[in-house]
Amino acid sequence: MAAQAIPMASTAASEPTVDWDALATRARLARRTKATVLYAFLIAVSLPIILPYFWLVTIAFSAKTGVAETAVLWRSMAVVVPAVIAFWLSAALAQGRRQLWIGLTAVAAVAALAFAVLVGPDLHLGNFIFLWEPDFASVVRSRVGEVKGAVQFPNVWHAFGNSILIAGTQTVIVVTVASLAAYYLSRFQFPGRSSMLRSLLVLHAFPVLTLIVPMFLMLYWIGLLDTLSGVILVLVAFELPFAIFIMKGFFDAVPWDIEMSALTDGASRRQAFVSVVLPQVRNGILAIAVFTFIRGWEEYIFVFTFLIRNSNWTMSLYMYWVRDDVMGVDYGVVSAVGVFYLVPSLILYMAAQRYLMQMSIGGVKG
Amino acid sequence: MAKIEFRNVVKRFGTVEVIPDMNLVIEDGEFVALLGPSGCGKSTSLFMLAGIYLPSGGELLFDGHVVNEVEARDRNVGIVFQSYALYPHMSARDNILFPLRFKKTSRDQALARVKATAELVRVEELLDRRPSELSGGQQQRVALARALVKEPQLLLLDEPLSNLDASLRLSMRTEIKSLQEQLGVTTVLVTHDQIEATTMADRIICMRAGQIEQVGTPDDLYLRPSSLFVAGFIGSPPINLMAGEAAGGTVTVGGAIFPVEGASGSLTIGLRPEHLRFAETGFAGRIAQIEPMGREILYVVETGMGAIRVLEQGSSVAHSTGEQVNIDFHPENSLVFDTQRQKLITGAHVRAPD
Ligand SMILES: Nc1ncnc2c1ncn2[C@@H]1O[C@H](COP(=O)(O)OP(=O)(O)OP(=O)(O)O)[C@@H](O)[C@H]1O
Ligand SMILES: [Mg+2]
Repeated sequence: MAAQAIPMASTAASEPTVDWDALATRARLARRTKATVLYAFLIAVSLPIILPYFWLVTIAFSAKTGVAETAVLWRSMAVVVPAVIAFWLSAALAQGRRQLWIGLTAVAAVAALAFAVLVGPDLHLGNFIFLWEPDFASVVRSRVGEVKGAVQFPNVWHAFGNSILIAGTQTVIVVTVASLAAYYLSRFQFPGRSSMLRSLLVLHAFPVLTLIVPMFLMLYWIGLLDTLSGVILVLVAFELPFAIFIMKGFFDAVPWDIEMSALTDGASRRQAFVSVVLPQVRNGILAIAVFTFIRGWEEYIFVFTFLIRNSNWTMSLYMYWVRDDVMGVDYGVVSAVGVFYLVPSLILYMAAQRYLMQMSIGGVKG
Repeated sequence: MAKIEFRNVVKRFGTVEVIPDMNLVIEDGEFVALLGPSGCGKSTSLFMLAGIYLPSGGELLFDGHVVNEVEARDRNVGIVFQSYALYPHMSARDNILFPLRFKKTSRDQALARVKATAELVRVEELLDRRPSELSGGQQQRVALARALVKEPQLLLLDEPLSNLDASLRLSMRTEIKSLQEQLGVTTVLVTHDQIEATTMADRIICMRAGQIEQVGTPDDLYLRPSSLFVAGFIGSPPINLMAGEAAGGTVTVGGAIFPVEGASGSLTIGLRPEHLRFAETGFAGRIAQIEPMGREILYVVETGMGAIRVLEQGSSVAHSTGEQVNIDFHPENSLVFDTQRQKLITGAHVRAPD
C-alpha cells in the first residue's frame, strides 16, 4: 500500500511545475508542421495534374503557326511555380486571418505583374481562328505553304451544338428515368427486385468496348447508325444502371414517414413524390445530372464508331480531326480547340461544385 | 368528428399475421390510448386508420361507413408520427400549410388558419424556421399543428412524446389533453408508456401481440386487470406476482400460506406495491434494498416467495436494510389470477397470513 502511494504523491507534487505555455507552443508547432507537410504533399501530387492543363492554356494563347518553341512555356512556369510555393509558404507562415489575406494578396499581385511582363507580350487569340473560320485548316496550312488535303471541317459551333444536344438529351433522359426507376426500386416490393438490383451493378461492370460490335449491328439494323439519337440511346443505356443505383441510395435515405404524412395530408402519390420526396434528393439528381452531362460531353468511342458524316461530328470528333490534320503544323490551334472543349465542363463543375461537395454517395446531408 | 369501428380487422404482412382479429369501437370525441409493448401492432392499427395500410380482412368503419378502400388523402385524418415527419425542406409555416394546399381554400384563408392553429399550439413565433432549426418539443408542436390545421375528423398520435425530455413530456401531456378537450376531436394515442396512457386517455386499449387484452378506463385496468399481462404491464413500480397452489381454502406460496376465497387450483396472487404496508402481522421478510423516490419510498423485501416491492408514502425512510418486517394488505386490494388461463378470477381474494 505504502509503496503504491509514493509515486502518486510525487506526480501530485510535480503537477504545479507543468509549463502550460511550453506545452501550448509545442502543440501549436506540431499542428503547423502537420499542416505544412500536408500542403507540400498536396502540391506535389497536384502539380502533375495541374501542369498539363496550365500548359494547354498557355500554348493555346501563345503558340504561333509553324513555330515550335517552348520559351513562353518556361517563362510562364518560372512565374507559376514560385507563385504556388509562395502561396503555400504565406499560408503556412501567416499568423491569423489578416496576415493570411495580406500575404496571399501580395503574392497574387506580384505573380500577376511578373506574368504580364514575362508572358504578356506573347499572348494572342489567333489560335482560336476555328471559332470564326470554318476552313481554318486550309488557312493554317497555307501559312506554311502546304495547301493540299485539308480535312473538310464543319463549323465548330455545329459540333458544339451536337455535343450539347447529345449530352443534354442524354442527361434529361437519364435523370428522368433513373429518378423514377430508383424511386420505385427503393419503395416498392415486387418479384425480381433484388435480382434487378444486383444486375444493375453487374451491368455497370461490363467494359463497354466489348459491346461495340453488336451495338453497331443493332444500330445499323434499326436504322439509327450515323444519327445523334442512336448515340444518345446507346449512352443512356450505358449510363442508366449506375445512375439508378446512385439515385436509389438517395431515395433510401428519404424517411418513409414524410411521404406517408404527405399522403394523409391529402396529396396523391404523384404529388407526394414531387413536392416532398424529390426535394430531398435534389443533390443526388444534381450529381447524376452533372456526371451524366460530362460523360456525354466527353464521349468519344461511341461517337467515333457510330457517327460518320461530318455534320454529325461532336466536339470530341472535331478535336480528334483537328489533331489529326493540323497537329504537325500548328499545335497552338489544337490546344485552343482543347481549351474550347474544356470550358463547358469547367463551368458546369464550378456551378455545381457547392452542391456536389455536400454530397456523400447514397445520402444527403442534413 | 367521427365514430370509429374495427370489425374483425385482420392485418398480414406477407405470411406474418400481425393483427389476427381486431374488434373495437371508439366513440365520437373520445380520447383513447393504444397501449402495449413494442411490436404489438399499435402503429399498424393506427396506419390502417390513416389509410396508409390496407386491412387484409374485416371492415373499418368511420361513422358507420366502411372505409377500407378509401384513400388516405380522402379520410381527413390528422396524424403525428413518432418522428414527427416534418418536411425538412419547408419552413414551419409551409409545413402547416401543406395539408391546405389540397383543399379548396384560398391562400388568405389558408394563411389565416395556419396562424390560428399555430397560436393554438403556441408556435406562432417559429413559423419561419426550418424543422432542423427547431427543438424536439417545437417540432412536435408544429407536427401537431399540421395535423390539426385541416380540422380532421380523427387525430392519430403515434408515440408523440417519446422523443421529449421528462419535463417537456409532462407539459405536452397536459397540453395535448386540453387541446383535445377544447376541439372535441376523436383521438387515438399510441404509446408504450402506461403513465402517458393513464393520464391522458378516457379509455385505454391494452394490446399484446396483435390482440386486444383489455379495454377500459385507466382505473379499470389498474384495479381490475383482466389478465396477468395487463396487471404486469400497468402500474409502476410493477405489481408483485406470486404463483402458488390452492387447496382447502388456502394458497401456499413459497412457504407462506394465504387464506383464499372464491378460487382454487393453480393461482397467481397479484399485489400492488402501494397496497402493501409494514405491520405487526402478515408475511415475513427482510428489507434488502431501499429506493427513495421523492414522495414515496420503494422497499425491496426479500421473502420466502421472492423479492416483494412495497411502496410507502412519505419521504422519510423509517426502516433500514436488513430489518426484519411483516407485510400486510387489505384483502379487497388483492388480485387472484388463474395461472393456467392467465385470467383474473373476479371476486376472488386472498388475505395476508396471520
Ligand atoms: N411493413 C412490414 N412488413 C412486415 N412486418 C411488419 C411491417 N410493419 C410492421 N411489421 C411487424 O408487425 C408487428 C407490429 O408492428 P408495429 O409497428 O405495429 O408495432 P408497434 O406496436 O407500433 O411497436 P413500437 O412500439 O415498437 O412502435 C411487428 O412485429 C413488426 O415486425
Ligand atoms: Mg410503433
